[in-house]
Amino acid sequence: MRICILNGNPEESRRHFDDYLGELKECLDRSSHQTSLLDLKQKNIEQCRGCFACWVQNPGRCIFKDDMEIVCKEVINSDLLIFASPVIMGFTSALLKKTQDRFIPLILPYIELDQEECHHKKRYHNYPKLGLIMEKEEATDSEDLDIITDIYKRLALNFKSELVLTTTLATTGKELANEIDHL
Amino acid sequence: MKLTIFNGSPRGQESNTKILLDSFLEGFESPENEYKIFYLIENEIIKNVNRFINSPNVILAFPLYTDAMPGIVKDFIEKLGVNKKETVNASVGFMVQSGFPEAYHSRCVERYLIKLSRRMHWNYQGTLVKGGVEGIKNRPGWMNRKLFKNLERMGEIYSQDRRFDPGTIKNLAPSERFSPVKLIFVKFLMKTGLLDSFWNQQLKKNQAYEKRFARPYKE
Repeated sequence: MRICILNGNPEESRRHFDDYLGELKECLDRSSHQTSLLDLKQKNIEQCRGCFACWVQNPGRCIFKDDMEIVCKEVINSDLLIFASPVIMGFTSALLKKTQDRFIPLILPYIELDQEECHHKKRYHNYPKLGLIMEKEEATDSEDLDIITDIYKRLALNFKSELVLTTTLATTGKELANEIDHL
Repeated sequence: MKLTIFNGSPRGQESNTKILLDSFLEGFESPENEYKIFYLIENEIIKNVNRFINSPNVILAFPLYTDAMPGIVKDFIEKLGVNKKETVNASVGFMVQSGFPEAYHSRCVERYLIKLSRRMHWNYQGTLVKGGVEGIKNRPGWMNRKLFKNLERMGEIYSQDRRFDPGTIKNLAPSERFSPVKLIFVKFLMKTGLLDSFWNQQLKKNQAYEKRFARPYKE
């Protein structure tokens, strides 16, 4: 399986988070997956301005020529896309959110009904399945995790995909790699 | 009453969020009231945190971006979290608007905002959820009349009672999901291609219509 992990940890000082994902990647590669781990804090990513040039001017491409070119390419060509982030103020990091906001070139502007709701149509034939890895902060409770999970389920629906994996750092990298093997 | 508004739209002054806020403010304006508006996209994050700290009444308004708040709004919330103690007891109301017509799309982020207010010990004023806002500028005036009237009313009640009126909020977000009858209508509308023409006109104007299904990142 081709796997893309987006590391949404914004802080260099949170080393254990990056180490965890590094270990996960090693375990996955050992099980003969092809994993790319993208460290978003090292990347230059603009906030989406909602200009819709990626829909009506240069379809499929953002007008910002920054590192999202690399991210979008990895994302759309993978079978599994994993969002990884510490929980900060009850949600995934602003760094990860900013990155997700830039996914709209990957879908079409046109609207269709899906589950009797309005959603955008596919641009690509295949979209990766989605996974979510969170690290709880001290104040994180089950309500927070439910809200985050529900928002990512909504994202999955809009991204022509499904959320197949939700976990926290309580699961070891090895266990998680094993779980991914069985997806 | 003093009110500080943060517009979290990445489109800033050109945003549909601004149009909704302007209408709300028409109802809010009176000799006793004062308000200031700041745009998060203008990147004055430290100043904005201080403005929040010094404001008894705050409205945070933003468009729905990929099913939640835009990245810049989350960034602002993270910085407020660092200054949690100084913002305790602020009265905070939220506005979330989406291009999707149904209110349902914004309900998860509304739950987030309620939880955030509890976490921060803010005095939660409510969340206005409004769908179907994309293209609002291009609509004939009569189509927006009811929307603007309700927003003005909401501003008026807010200036008198310092609260978001649940009745007006309900009036503004009538369709949670499509009713069976509306669903038939929407299906029909989609078949006619009228909804696509909003995008196709722009694509044609930009000589990009032929490329509309481009897949530049496919390997």
